[in-house]
Amino acid sequence: MSKLTGHLKSIFAPSKREKEGLSFELLFQRFRDVLDNNNRAIEIITDMGEKFGGDYLFDITYVKRAYSELSVALQNCLQSFDLLTRGGYPQLHGVLRRIDDQIKRTVYDTRETGMMVVPYEDITWDKYHEVGGKNANLSELKNHLGIEVPEAFVITTSAFDELLRFNGIDKKLQTLGEALDEGVLGELRESISNAKIPPPIGDALGEALEKIRSRCGDTCFLAVRSSAEEEDGDFSFAGQFRTELNVPSEERAVEDAYRRVLASMFSGKSVAYMGKIGVDLKRMKMAVGCMVMIDAASSGVVYSADPGGEEDTLTINAAWGLGESVVEGLTDADLFVIKKAALPEIANKRTGAKKSMIARLGEGGTKRIDTPGDLSAELSLTDEQAIGLALTAILIERHFRKPQDIEWAIDRDERVFILQSRPLKIAEHEEAAAGKAPAATSERVLTKIGGTVVQKGAGAGRVFILRQMDDLNSFPRGAILVARNDSSDFIRIMPYVSAIITDTGTPTSHMAALCREFRVPTLVNAGKATQVLRHGQDVTVYADDDGTMTVYDGIARELLEQAGADSRRMENVYEFRKKRYILRYIIPLNLVDPLLDNFTAEACKTAHDVLRFIHEKSVAELVESARDGGAILKKHAAIKLRLPIPTGIMVIDIGGGLDLSPGRDSADFERISSLPLKAIVGGMMHPGVWRSEAVSLRANDFLTSMLRATDIVSDSRSFIENNVAVVSREYMNLSLRFGYHFNLIDCYCSGNTRNNHIYFRFMGGATDISKRTRRVQFIEAVLKEYGFKIKTKGDLIIARIAALPQEEIQELLDSLGRLIAYTRQLDAVMHDDASVERYTRNFLNGTYEA
Amino acid sequence: MSSYRIMVIDDEKIVGDMAKLSLEQEGYSVETFLNAEPALSRLKEEKFDVVVTDLKMKGIDGMEVLRTVKKLYPDTKVIMITAFANLDAAIAALRAEVHDFFPKPVKIKELKESINRALSKA
Repeated sequence: MSKLTGHLKSIFAPSKREKEGLSFELLFQRFRDVLDNNNRAIEIITDMGEKFGGDYLFDITYVKRAYSELSVALQNCLQSFDLLTRGGYPQLHGVLRRIDDQIKRTVYDTRETGMMVVPYEDITWDKYHEVGGKNANLSELKNHLGIEVPEAFVITTSAFDELLRFNGIDKKLQTLGEALDEGVLGELRESISNAKIPPPIGDALGEALEKIRSRCGDTCFLAVRSSAEEEDGDFSFAGQFRTELNVPSEERAVEDAYRRVLASMFSGKSVAYMGKIGVDLKRMKMAVGCMVMIDAASSGVVYSADPGGEEDTLTINAAWGLGESVVEGLTDADLFVIKKAALPEIANKRTGAKKSMIARLGEGGTKRIDTPGDLSAELSLTDEQAIGLALTAILIERHFRKPQDIEWAIDRDERVFILQSRPLKIAEHEEAAAGKAPAATSERVLTKIGGTVVQKGAGAGRVFILRQMDDLNSFPRGAILVARNDSSDFIRIMPYVSAIITDTGTPTSHMAALCREFRVPTLVNAGKATQVLRHGQDVTVYADDDGTMTVYDGIARELLEQAGADSRRMENVYEFRKKRYILRYIIPLNLVDPLLDNFTAEACKTAHDVLRFIHEKSVAELVESARDGGAILKKHAAIKLRLPIPTGIMVIDIGGGLDLSPGRDSADFERISSLPLKAIVGGMMHPGVWRSEAVSLRANDFLTSMLRATDIVSDSRSFIENNVAVVSREYMNLSLRFGYHFNLIDCYCSGNTRNNHIYFRFMGGATDISKRTRRVQFIEAVLKEYGFKIKTKGDLIIARIAALPQEEIQELLDSLGRLIAYTRQLDAVMHDDASVERYTRNFLNGTYEA
Repeated sequence: MSSYRIMVIDDEKIVGDMAKLSLEQEGYSVETFLNAEPALSRLKEEKFDVVVTDLKMKGIDGMEVLRTVKKLYPDTKVIMITAFANLDAAIAALRAEVHDFFPKPVKIKELKESINRALSKA
């Protein structure tokens, strides 16, 4: 058997499951059960997103009720999925159990305590207490916003307790009197400096260091910093405790550094500070972060707002080498003043003298040196890097909803790292009464768009009209996305899009859930937004409760501030933030593209991921189960479709697909009541697309076809007898085989947008590989234009699209029908590469002449 | 700016905190309590224009708060919120002259509107 035939067989061979003999009706019924359960879960998630959005007063009773409803819905969904796939994905149970545990822990506020060391990637809300505010914030940036933060782990407050207990220091602390003179403090520091590291800490530390070394090399160094337990992040503790830089990544050195940092808690300076802010030294606990040192070419600090109270500019201080020179104010740093906007602009920059810089020493530690002459007069940051940092700072500020004081470093490969972020203390100024639709703004109202408001709020930026999914790659940060359809692909831009408007879409889509999570003002089902708004125009939008979005000309700053104040303030309510945290395990979507390799059960991290995975794999199950037409035909009564074109399609109606009186064994086009089948066949019958004349073959094609021993231009029975359509009123699975071309279309086309999908697979051809490749390129270009996600491999194309309204699915099927008919023999005439573009253009213009 | 005084009683901190924040934005002066005893003693000292209270609380419950308020200050409006809404409770509250009755989660905008109505009638 030739390799190709083997490949084809493996793709189109009957699956094992088919042999088990489950009727398609039952299979389809189970598929629908999965969708129903899936939708139920999504509805609960949508409700939670809304109730946790800051517009509702809710209490723990609601949180528990919502959680248990969601939990049941997820279980039901998994159960029906198991039935459909006959337990095909056992690992999903463990995945869901893990996610469920995490949600439950947050809901019932049971903390996992007692870990001595926690890597950043494992830090979750229930551990915030134990890792301290600084580490909690940084791990948020890394784990939630995907911002680059160096490899790091935390020695927890549990370790702190353990160390004190192990060395009897806890008892000393408890017997302390009121007077904490230098003598007493000195003794405490001494005890810590001589403290033995208890074995559980030593072991955990050794393991963490080994992992760090395996990732960053044996010679990497660490910054060891304090991170005091500060639940609310109210106090900055900035500069109160010791930081050890450039510590070798080996046990002894890190243990020493750890002790030195802990001891600094008992310095006169820190004790005075704690006294001032009312923190009891006896109850104070310290976590310590150990972070891989960045070999910094330059570094510094960003203030995401002007500490004087101006919130529309941010400043960056930068210097060569390590950041300590800037943080400690040791050098006259470079200064960038940047206007915050969708596309930030540099308002001012000044080159500092930068006489000295901090450099790392090879054997560990750091040293202040004179800046080499030619460097000191040079800006330590390019404009591009400054803008990039500004965007990251805006993103961080938006996430924490408070101006931030951010430390950063750029390494020698020009990778930007964030080393720390904490609230910036700024001058308070009276904010406008918030929460009301901003009435008074000088900006002109351009238009008011009706639709469904998914997330209310204001956003401003440049309008970006998305024509093709690929254009997302050039989406400018801070712009307003206007698209035909909603899509979970938008996750890529979610952290920095200012607002989203889509012509179609529903408030329960994957995208909608994400918009709520990221608080992106969003309007869906907006009709003709893509036509009303102009690409490139600067606008401010306000999505209101009443289901409209008002579009103002230009950037309306006061409007943005008014609207922003509301949600920013709610974030200040600690209990609110804490309850909202459970959404982390529910809403974010990590499984974005089902055609990518990482679309696996194991990669599911949230309830949303699980639901997405189940939906996609359920469709796949249908596709697989229906693909052997012959086997299905044996089990079902089939009706022959009589069409003006020789498609040879046999129809198996599993419910409402044909409108026939009993006993008939054939049906005309008019008798098709299956919406998807009617649409696709209608497309195939489109005038001019079905070419029935024989196509002349060139010599090498002829040879290829001889080798394949078939007559490629034939519509003869032997090659079309397995053309089978399994249909219901809203569903179709169609396998078409014309000569050596195989098409498979699986489609659900219902009134519920969320349920709908088209899966299209095409492969084969009898001509030589270059012509077949050209045809694949042509099909790919056309499908891309229609908005499909596509994966190609040789002459195989897999394309899919989902969550579109019924009418749109029907239109796409009509186009697919034309495409299938048109390309039946097209490879034979695609003689040169230029023909790809020509045919694509012609086809899209509705010209079907060769 | 109006300086109407509003009291919020709910045994969950999140409810009081969120209500306080939202209502202060409207210019009201807001005090919150986690249970009814200290709230009622506070009421005996000073009159509030609107009392928002949870129905089900340990110790003194929302119905008792409602009755006490009405005895002390017949024109103070009481708004009842509850996670366990049922018709009987609503009817009982209505008989005791509750101004409004909301199942939780309560849309803050609706609560604000209800308070505005209560105050315009006063």
